[in-house]
Amino acid sequence: MTLKNTLKATTAAALVLLGTAVYAEGHGATHPVTGEPLAAEQVFTYSTIDEIPSIDPGLVEDVEGSAVVRDLFEGLLNQDPDGNPVPGVATGYEVSEDKMTYTFTLRDNAVWSDGTPVTAGDFVYAWQRAANPETASPYSWYIELMSIENAAAVIAGEKPVTELGVKAIDDKTLEVRITQPLPYFPQMVTHGTTFPVPQHVVEEFGNDWVTPEHFVGNGAYVLTERVLQERLVREKSPTYWDADNVLIDKVVMLIINDSTQALTRWQAGEIDKTAQGLPPGQYPSLVQEYPNEAIAVPSLCSYYYNMNMRDTAPEWAKDVRVRQALSLAIDRDIIVEDVLAAGQFPAYTFTPGATAGFEVPMVEAAGMTQDERNEKAKALLAEAGYGSDNPISLEILYNTSESHKSVAIAVSQMWKQTLGVETTLANMEWQTFLEERGNGNFDVSRAGWCGDYNEASTFLDLMNSSSGYNDAGYNNPEVDALLAESKTLADPSANYTKVEEIIAADVPIIPIYHYTENFMLNDAIKGWPFENVQQTWYSRELYKVAE
Amino acid sequence: MLSFIARRFAVAIPTILILIVVSFVLMFAAPGGPFNAERPLPPQVLANIEAKYGLDQPYWKQIFDYVWNVVVHFDFGPSFKYKDRSVNDIIAQGFPVTLTYGFWSFVVAVIVGVTLGVVAAIRHNTWLDYLAVGISIGAQSLPNFVMAPMLVIVFTLWLGWLPGGGWNGGQLQYLVLPVIALSTSYMASIARITRSSMLEVLNSGFIRTARAKGLSDGRIILRHALKPAMLPVLSYLGPAFVLMVTGSVIVDSYFSTGGIGVYFVNAAFNRDYSVMMGITILMGALTILFNLIVDLLYAWIDPKIRY
Repeated sequence: MTLKNTLKATTAAALVLLGTAVYAEGHGATHPVTGEPLAAEQVFTYSTIDEIPSIDPGLVEDVEGSAVVRDLFEGLLNQDPDGNPVPGVATGYEVSEDKMTYTFTLRDNAVWSDGTPVTAGDFVYAWQRAANPETASPYSWYIELMSIENAAAVIAGEKPVTELGVKAIDDKTLEVRITQPLPYFPQMVTHGTTFPVPQHVVEEFGNDWVTPEHFVGNGAYVLTERVLQERLVREKSPTYWDADNVLIDKVVMLIINDSTQALTRWQAGEIDKTAQGLPPGQYPSLVQEYPNEAIAVPSLCSYYYNMNMRDTAPEWAKDVRVRQALSLAIDRDIIVEDVLAAGQFPAYTFTPGATAGFEVPMVEAAGMTQDERNEKAKALLAEAGYGSDNPISLEILYNTSESHKSVAIAVSQMWKQTLGVETTLANMEWQTFLEERGNGNFDVSRAGWCGDYNEASTFLDLMNSSSGYNDAGYNNPEVDALLAESKTLADPSANYTKVEEIIAADVPIIPIYHYTENFMLNDAIKGWPFENVQQTWYSRELYKVAE
Repeated sequence: MLSFIARRFAVAIPTILILIVVSFVLMFAAPGGPFNAERPLPPQVLANIEAKYGLDQPYWKQIFDYVWNVVVHFDFGPSFKYKDRSVNDIIAQGFPVTLTYGFWSFVVAVIVGVTLGVVAAIRHNTWLDYLAVGISIGAQSLPNFVMAPMLVIVFTLWLGWLPGGGWNGGQLQYLVLPVIALSTSYMASIARITRSSMLEVLNSGFIRTARAKGLSDGRIILRHALKPAMLPVLSYLGPAFVLMVTGSVIVDSYFSTGGIGVYFVNAAFNRDYSVMMGITILMGALTILFNLIVDLLYAWIDPKIRY
């Protein structure tokens, strides 16, 4: 080929390339699978209510922080849009016959954002670090919850971290030993606490390793900017093993303390998604105005009232008939439809129906009409010897908040009208409330609980007499035995049903409703995992279509 | 003068120490703690965390260690809530933000407030006076938690001129709404104080003398009346400046500026002891400093005052 021809060919090739580029620029790229036209700027902006306590996998403790950690790091397994575990850094795993040893195989192309390969040793270091009393991670209990060998002793400082039941067989093989078979163990390693951390960086920079200057992660994104109480920006990581399939280039998290303000800024187009929790009472009108963008999806959370079951509780609270009457007299439909009005579900059991593998037991109250419930409640109360000549007066304790207050007012009104029970409302600032409730200084106290993982035991374990979260002070040996047994069963659902039935009869707690997540989401953003009840989302699965 | 300043600094040190001790006592007296949560931590985990932050030590030792670290190392300790950052980091990042919008709010409040007050006083009982008084009463009675969302609805949602929040390094368009929201009520107070003090001065003997000498109105007001009329305004400006530059929780939470105002309230709710202490000390020190500056300005304005 002559020089002239070479020039010609090169020019032609360049023109073709340029043409393609111009075409792509002008007409926009399309989604590789669905073929939808993509927006030119693949930026996803969302808001949270509060600043995140930590984005260090070893210290992360909240829902929003976990979402950031899932973008910046990748654990052994991820969740698919339905919440099932799928390969992450691990391509797969094997379980021993006794179901107590898991061997994970790590993929070869997983690297840290500084180019260093991700090894089994990084996981060992991360897990040891999370359990280490010197790290003092608020989530170190999670390592214990996973039943990893020697976890409790390591956390208590009785054994060195090297005794923790996790070992790197070689760079790409990780062995985990647990002390009891856990059918949901693979699900548990999708949680941020189990994600790897880069030992070489953590040891060099200490606490500062999670600042944008020093940050090294193995996720689909890297941290590029963090201004506390204002914004956190992460951008696509070119070193992520699946980077070719990541469409969103930049994710911006803004901290907006006020939900009304967040809504206004969403309406002004400044953000694509608001934090979970729309301003109280606004959902019905928003869903009218923005039918595709005002979202309410079931979540793994329960709202309930604790009855005081301690010896120090008032006499009436010790009578199961009174507790049943109080529970029956609450018209849950009014509370979810008229008071809260954001798609919540009336609750007659503690565990939400959305929980994986949980069949909601048909407790008697759920099948009755409210009139029947009210009649039964009156009869029970009369039988217990209470009524207009011997009235009950009680106090509902809740933490200061408009929505808790509205629920408490509605409930007190129902108790008054149906049962003649006099209720006073006591609201306290959060920390004071926690202390009073924890010490059992209440008649009835408000509570909410969100599942740590998608399985009924994350709720029902609270009813165990030894649970630190059992604020009702409930103590039923039968429940304890059923719960203990459920840990060893391949299919524990029968036990869970039985426990729910016992709770419905004993009424240590009054379930009121199961939460929904409600938020505004720009309908140009696709790929949101609505079906995942834990709302475990990954930015790398989202994309923005052209308007 | 110098010995006066030295004396004031000598008094400032014990004042700050007392402030620290009193804050500590109040903090420990409040129920709960930084690590209480809906989901109580298992006792062992809680013990580990308390050991890490020294909360397992006796109170006197905690106070002593704290003061020691602050004085000797200038280290305000780690934040109990925001574990990726120390209190020094938090103040270093948030204080410049509040300082910026606080300073501009101060400038706006002083310029607009003094102008309104002076105009109202020299045009006493005319429509200009009523207008100025009307504006300042309106601004005073519109609290900033009403003002802030109104500004956002008008300027962001309807007009689309300005962003509804954020800071982005403090660019001008992010600064406008916070400054308006923060400055209005201060502006109103300054206008009212200026007006009444100006009226008093304008009725005094030396102004009558100046008038008798045949000086022009402009000269009388600017050269003779304004300076003495500023004395009561000055004593208001010292503490107001400190309040403005240490931020406003309303401005910080509505406009998501990332300033330190928001920490002051959040730290109290979260029982984030170290952040609460750090910001209290910062505010205390600034208050002492600006009171001193105001006192020195007094002497400059009023030759009768000698230190």
